[in-house]
Amino acid sequence: MHPEKLRVIHYVNQFFGGIGGEDKADVAPEIREGTVGPGRAFQAMLGDRGEVIATAVCGDNYFAEKTEEAAAEIIKLIRSYEPDLLVAGPAFEAGRYGIACGAICKAARDELNIPAVTGMYLGNPGMDLFHKDVYIIRTGNSVRTMNDDVKAIVNLAIKLVDGQKIGKPEEEGYIPLGIILNETTSQTAAERAISMLLHKLRGEPFESEVSLSQYDKLEPAPRIENIAKATIALITDGGLVPKGNPDRIESNGATRFGKYSFVGQQELKAEDYDVNHVGYDPVFVGQDPNRLVPVDVMRELEQEKIIGRLSESFHSTAGVATPVENARKMGKAIAADLKSESISGVILTST
Amino acid sequence: MRLECNILRIREVQFAAETGVSNQVLYINRQELENLLKEDKRLGGVDIDLVNPGDSCRIIRVADVIEPRCKIGDNGKDFPGALGDQVVAGQGITCVLKGAAVVLCEYIDPRQLVNHLRARIMIDMWGPTAEVSPYAKTHNIVILPYPAEGTRLQEYQLALKIAGLKTAAYLAKAGADLEPDELEVYDLPTTTEAVTNFPDLPKIVYIFQVLSNQFEPLEGDAVLYGDNIGKAVPTILHPNEVLDGALLAPYGSIFIETYSIQNHPIVKELYRNHGKNLCFTGVIITNVPNNVREYERMSNIAANLAKHVIGADGAILTKAGGGAPEVVMARTAQRCEQMGIKTTLALVNMGIDTDITATSSKPNVIFNMPEIDAMVSMGVATKAFKLPPVGRVVGVASPVPEGLHINGETIAPPFEIRGFLSQLGDSRFRAVRY
Repeated sequence: MHPEKLRVIHYVNQFFGGIGGEDKADVAPEIREGTVGPGRAFQAMLGDRGEVIATAVCGDNYFAEKTEEAAAEIIKLIRSYEPDLLVAGPAFEAGRYGIACGAICKAARDELNIPAVTGMYLGNPGMDLFHKDVYIIRTGNSVRTMNDDVKAIVNLAIKLVDGQKIGKPEEEGYIPLGIILNETTSQTAAERAISMLLHKLRGEPFESEVSLSQYDKLEPAPRIENIAKATIALITDGGLVPKGNPDRIESNGATRFGKYSFVGQQELKAEDYDVNHVGYDPVFVGQDPNRLVPVDVMRELEQEKIIGRLSESFHSTAGVATPVENARKMGKAIAADLKSESISGVILTST
Repeated sequence: MRLECNILRIREVQFAAETGVSNQVLYINRQELENLLKEDKRLGGVDIDLVNPGDSCRIIRVADVIEPRCKIGDNGKDFPGALGDQVVAGQGITCVLKGAAVVLCEYIDPRQLVNHLRARIMIDMWGPTAEVSPYAKTHNIVILPYPAEGTRLQEYQLALKIAGLKTAAYLAKAGADLEPDELEVYDLPTTTEAVTNFPDLPKIVYIFQVLSNQFEPLEGDAVLYGDNIGKAVPTILHPNEVLDGALLAPYGSIFIETYSIQNHPIVKELYRNHGKNLCFTGVIITNVPNNVREYERMSNIAANLAKHVIGADGAILTKAGGGAPEVVMARTAQRCEQMGIKTTLALVNMGIDTDITATSSKPNVIFNMPEIDAMVSMGVATKAFKLPPVGRVVGVASPVPEGLHINGETIAPPFEIRGFLSQLGDSRFRAVRY
């Protein structure tokens, strides 16, 4: 069925490439014929199906400092081998190595148009950056699990090469790509719901099709010592934007936020703003934007010296079916911005 | 309470000189129907089109879909409180034209069309979405009523629904005297009697969110016997009332049509299991308040009706819309669980996972209440459809504004496809993470 063995390239860092430890992390990409280090485990798993024809090695710092160039150099080095497949790592807990593995897999897929699979431990920064682009097998945190991890990488890689249907994350052992799709079922939702309830009532095992959310636990910031001296900012996810939505913030599933100045104004004026939000009735806010972003009341508090000062602009996005990942990114960026302006407190208004 | 549905199968719709049903073909006198609808002075005119499955046709701006039904031998009692007299629905005989549907299209000022939220809610009768929308499989009578000169928007929106109901009742009357192809009987006694009949079966209620106050409910909109239920507290209905026209989809509903309420999959499935695996003890309808104080009150009342009035052992819950309804449904379920009622929730997923790294293939909900451990996914609105061009577009007034290529190839997000997702349990989809 497979007359020719798959030509496989393996990527490792300087440590697994046998060049050295942290002191050798600056070495530039090089190529070795055949297997190096963990490459032997890959060769054993591939068996007759493929051959690790060459191993690309690069120092972790070299790769981390100029990721794109390093990936391009490696692609250049391996192109002439005409590979059918690239495997990288596994990187386990090593952060720079994880980023390199993710980046080289992505480059192999994009530039050489071949399948590429790597492996790393949950939480490796390479995972955050590349789990949407490439298949990353979820590994243990150290070489102890090497054989199982390599096996999972090879199994998935062979499926990709053969064009087979890739199973669910927990079946194949990869870190979810972060996409949600519809799968057809033989029973209607009504049938499944009633069946599930009856099982639950009889004390029989049942399996929920949906999980609860797990939210981050956050330490609240310390209280404001003297509110009469504090600078207070306003943030909303109610979609208030200047007329015409200049930053083109999405009204659904937003990825962006805007920062809009009201310097020198006693209140927000309806004619200056639009409501860009598909999750609530925007009529009232459209008539009086202060009811969403309460600049008018804050000015009164400012004049009565109850607060020190109101900041000069508000941050705004549309909180409608916004992936938590997006919200987290926006939140961090907004917080950093407020911090740089020495804002002491924030009022967030939602809809 | 006993409801008999005389089912007449419809396999084609045609215009004809006389309205009637013969050999499973529904013939429609277009002029007569048009005249009937134009009796409403709020309307200036109406377009009527017939569309069959497989037609190269796109129906756009679909406000609602209604199954043609009327009461037999009970004139003036169709859709009580909305169209007909204020009587109790759910008993007697109802004629149903199964396989036909009234598709109600909303007139939107062409100048507002391009950015209008509901401008593109559509049904394609062929192509990829025809496979996944139940309304691409029905023989559709598409009506597009226009506002009369001077009719205010809200008056028009009210008149729109009435025109849909009138059409549904008018068409079904054509089959009222005919021998039905099938008979469906929905017969459920009082809760006390049902429980006496099946003392060993678990008592199950269905807690049905009908309307969300995220958007201001339309004043005068007929949802429950003519009331818009924006401010209603939970109440108990007999399941037959749900199926027989007491309850209609609110204006602007997401993933709920009147058609799906008339054929409510969860109500029907509870009926099918009644006396065998469970004892069906009624439907509690709720709305979704837009503030915490009111939704806590709503949740407590609903859970308490289920526990201490009905005495339910288990409850099925569904939601009306997206995020806020999901949280409110969860609170209601949590209150049920805390009172000792086991719950299962069925929901269309929001597709906004909180933990991208979790290795489970299960999607998330947007709440975290440990009491809630049984949920069914009814799919997710993520992946857009690429729709091929169509030969004909109905449901749109001319002139079509520039830039709205409504008959061409188009990318449609899932919420634009009427019937693709349903909050009422008809779906054979579940959301899975990859």
